[in-house]
Amino acid sequence: MRKTGPARIVRPRDLSEAVRLVAEGGRPLAGGTDLFVRLRREVEDPPFLVYLGELPELQGIELREDGAVVGAAVTHAKLLRSEVAERLPILRLALSTIGAPAIREMGTLAGNVANASPAGDGLIPLYLLEARVLLAGPQGERELPVEEFVLGPGKTALKEGEIIRSLFLPFPEGEPRSYFRKVGRRRALLIAVASLGGLVWLQDGVVEQARLALGSVAPTVLRPREVEQELVGKPLDPQVLAPLAEKLSQLVQPITDLRASASYRREVAGKLLLDLAVSLAG
Amino acid sequence: MDEITQAPTRIVGGSASRLDAAAKVTGQARYADDLSFPGMLYVKVIRSDRPHARVTALDLSRVEAHPQVVCVVTPGDIPGENVVPIIYRDMPLLAEGRVRYVGEPLALLAARTPEAAEEAARLARVTYEDLPAVLDPLEAIREGAPQVAVPQAAEAGNIFNHMVIRKGDVGQGFSQADVVVEGEYRVGYQEHAYLEPQGVIAVPEEGGMAIYGTLQCPYYVQNAVAAVLGLPLSKVRVVQTATGGGFGGKEDVPSQLAALAAVVAAKSGRPTKLVYDRAEDIISTSKRHPGVIRYRTGAKRDGTLVAVEVEFYYNAGAYQTLSSAVLWRGLVHAPGPYRIPNVKVDAYSVATNTVPCGAFRGFGSPQVIFAHESQMDELANRLGMDPLELRKKNALREGDETATGQRLTESVGLLAAIERARELSDWENLRREAEEFNRRERFRRRGVGVSTVMYGVGMGAKAPLLDKAGAYVKLEADGSVTVAVGNTEMGQGAITVLGQIAAEALGVRLSDVQLAPVDTSRVPDSGPTVASRTTTVAGAAVLDAASQLRARVEAAAREFFGSQRVEIADGKVWPKDRPRDAKPLSEVARWMWAHNWDLGATGWAQGAPVDWDPKTGQGNAYFVYAYACHIAEVEVDLLTGETHVTRFWAVHDSGKIVNPALARGQVAGGIAQGIGYALMEELRSEDGRIVAPSFTGYHIPTAMDVPGQYVIEFVEAPYSGGPYGAKGLGEVPLMAAHAAVANALSRATGGRLREYPAIPERVLGLVRGER
Ligand SMILES: Cc1cc2nc3c(=O)[nH]c(=O)nc-3n(C[C@H](O)[C@H](O)[C@H](O)COP(=O)(O)OP(=O)(O)OC[C@H]3O[C@@H](n4cnc5c(N)ncnc54)[C@H](O)[C@@H]3O)c2cc1C
Repeated sequence: MRKTGPARIVRPRDLSEAVRLVAEGGRPLAGGTDLFVRLRREVEDPPFLVYLGELPELQGIELREDGAVVGAAVTHAKLLRSEVAERLPILRLALSTIGAPAIREMGTLAGNVANASPAGDGLIPLYLLEARVLLAGPQGERELPVEEFVLGPGKTALKEGEIIRSLFLPFPEGEPRSYFRKVGRRRALLIAVASLGGLVWLQDGVVEQARLALGSVAPTVLRPREVEQELVGKPLDPQVLAPLAEKLSQLVQPITDLRASASYRREVAGKLLLDLAVSLAG
Repeated sequence: MDEITQAPTRIVGGSASRLDAAAKVTGQARYADDLSFPGMLYVKVIRSDRPHARVTALDLSRVEAHPQVVCVVTPGDIPGENVVPIIYRDMPLLAEGRVRYVGEPLALLAARTPEAAEEAARLARVTYEDLPAVLDPLEAIREGAPQVAVPQAAEAGNIFNHMVIRKGDVGQGFSQADVVVEGEYRVGYQEHAYLEPQGVIAVPEEGGMAIYGTLQCPYYVQNAVAAVLGLPLSKVRVVQTATGGGFGGKEDVPSQLAALAAVVAAKSGRPTKLVYDRAEDIISTSKRHPGVIRYRTGAKRDGTLVAVEVEFYYNAGAYQTLSSAVLWRGLVHAPGPYRIPNVKVDAYSVATNTVPCGAFRGFGSPQVIFAHESQMDELANRLGMDPLELRKKNALREGDETATGQRLTESVGLLAAIERARELSDWENLRREAEEFNRRERFRRRGVGVSTVMYGVGMGAKAPLLDKAGAYVKLEADGSVTVAVGNTEMGQGAITVLGQIAAEALGVRLSDVQLAPVDTSRVPDSGPTVASRTTTVAGAAVLDAASQLRARVEAAAREFFGSQRVEIADGKVWPKDRPRDAKPLSEVARWMWAHNWDLGATGWAQGAPVDWDPKTGQGNAYFVYAYACHIAEVEVDLLTGETHVTRFWAVHDSGKIVNPALARGQVAGGIAQGIGYALMEELRSEDGRIVAPSFTGYHIPTAMDVPGQYVIEFVEAPYSGGPYGAKGLGEVPLMAAHAAVANALSRATGGRLREYPAIPERVLGLVRGER
């Protein structure tokens, strides 16, 4: 059923006021592309919303030597247009599949992180880059690796009154090849049925180092570290990698829902590794 | 009229831009929800949440006590009959004592704000005593199944209708066959997904009722509202608001909404608005019938079809609504556009405890087309024949007899369409390219598929009384022109095409022509805007009126110029031998007005006669047919089962194309809708409840899912009964598109798709060789 009463939206003047309002029980609101859907479905009913979208402290994209600091109010579209997307092809590949142009203009990467969906496409590059989440709260600021920030579907390490202030995306060393693919029945406005992202460093045709992240096949985005290890020293040849694909399938813990069955997700999770091999080998 | 038909045309055949474009682009067009009337209340429907139950108590006391609630309506408040009259009269407006599907209306309330209406509806307390429910048509026809159908509306048990075609002797036919293929095919719901959900406003006025709403068939609505209010038709006025898509979904459903809103307006004496949100729309309104379809097809070694036997079951939902008509079109279209000497078809529509299904672009034909076009490909595989060649060999030609024994005397462009599609797609090469691609690629496969279809234009012999149309054309005193018909613009371009026909016939510019707003009290009844009939039938009525008017203008102009022969074109009039004396038509119009000429003309048209014998299914089912040949190329990812349509060719014979740009739009949209039907659209139910009634759960194709490359062409086999030779087009593109995609997909995977939609999971099954 439709949510009827409009939620009250409060606009803080600055970050400290935002933190105070959130500590009072207000719900952070960025692009609203997740939150308004939830309010409409009445899965939550916060007393008021705290609009962070225009806070000056959360706007910037700062390029540093070792990585990029992305303010929490930065939208996917703005990020895609920035130099960061050029430096980080994995970010571009993943973010450009989020929703559709209008959604990318509204939605933020921080919102995607705070939403903590196992299907969050923005989380995949962050897991691969081993990004850190900078939090601001009543007790001051703290920083967490993204993998420690996301605790489960919709669950994060945010404490009362805390908000995400920015994300730090380290630039990987060397020149890894980037792979991202999400699977589903159409090509846009699609919540992944399964997804795989990868950063693969190659040396003389064999894998020197690999990072993989799987979406929609476990309660959170998954880094299959065992498989990453076993990839080292192997060529990107689907035949050689077939046993690893099988292993990947066994590793995931998918569920059945309206979009797909668990068994399909399991199968595809493994097979995407073969697709990665074919795509990155060239 | 003949003279006009044959003369070269200036406006008909040109791609004029839509008459409604500016209003829609600038946001001036007013949709149902944009309208407001003083004192207007907001209606909310209290619905059943059980698939089948006795209602033992309906406690609305808390609803009534809500401070914002002004009016509550139960069956006792309905001044006329408690019925939504469609073809049958089995569906109550408000269920009394028993509910037959989740979402069935039980009672109504009206509140001062939409939010309050929403809130108050939740205060209703309904006590049910559940009855055994049956949700599947094959289960509903079993012995001992719970009785769902209202007995008076059903032929037997839960079988609403059983219809047949009997031609020749299939037993003998199959005995002559060298090859026989057989298969069972299944399809689920398809949701219309019109941009604008259903919505109406009922406004009491001078002893009667006015209805404003998004709708296709104003006269159906008028009839339904008059029935529930116990009013004469003359006291019910229906005004169509700008309509954001219909696809058949606004054929019968607006009658229900209007009747619901009207009884509240009648009781409260105030204007009432009833607009659905997307969830309520998906849960409670019509969709394409799910079906189980069984085919056997027999052919000689050279591909000549000798026999087809078909049995199919459509899930009609709890009430008849349009199912008998939908079933009939499915029946007639089941054999496909082929010469077949021996045909046996048994078609059943079955009542279940689900939301009533109804009209959707193609009207019962896409389901059987999936099956017959799959059969043709299975046959081609078995025979080792080129599937396009097989179709060509059996395609109906002028002079042939259809499966219903109808002799096709003119306008059969099927072969031309197949030939042109072959040329445009470079068919042989295309298939070769796909094979090369498949040899080269490790995890991707391409497939090319073809489909051919025929489409009976208009209502056909099941409802011949509806294939007539009136039109009124008026020359204003300043030379501008007003055209009035009761057909509705719902995005398909009807008013532009009708305007072009009027402009062509009168010799004015299209910019001089204005279509009158559709208001049943002011425009002639030109019948429902369905069945791809508007251009053909209403167009003929407009042409009739405009031609009469033109003759009168010519007579006046002869007097005006004192000349024996005059010419009219582009809004100018001149004596034939003195073109330099040309005057704007406005001067002649002014002169006519000043000299008391009648400036209005009424036109009339009706479809050529049709006939039908229900015992044998033989007869002239439709007055003319449109044809199409579609070719699709798809790419399947063997790792994920994802399928993408990469290229597409569509060739149509719809007779003369009045507006090629609009026609191309219809075809492109049909291709997209067909891709959705074949590959992704799926509406799941659990225990009779639709589980995800939103576009998050129900996937329709996006701009990224349509082919990057597509070619659309028309081969025009003119129809002598249509204006300037036009036949119908609207539904045909969807009908052909999905089947071409399905065949391409089957070829790419090496399996055989027997169930829609081909979601990635199902496709992986095909790749693995599972059925
Ligand atoms: C049509 C549609 C398509 C979509 N497609 C995709 C898709 O393809 N892939 C995908 O991953 N997602 C998709 N989404 C989901 C959504 O767009 C993304 O997750 C988006 O990144 C959310 O960002 P937002 O700014 O809109 O978040 P909001 O909706 O504003 O907030 C989301 C959640 O994060 C919290 N939050 C926001 N900012 C902060 C902050 N600074 N600190 C603490 N908490 C915060 C909010 O309280 C809320 O709980 C789609 C959504 C829609 C409506």
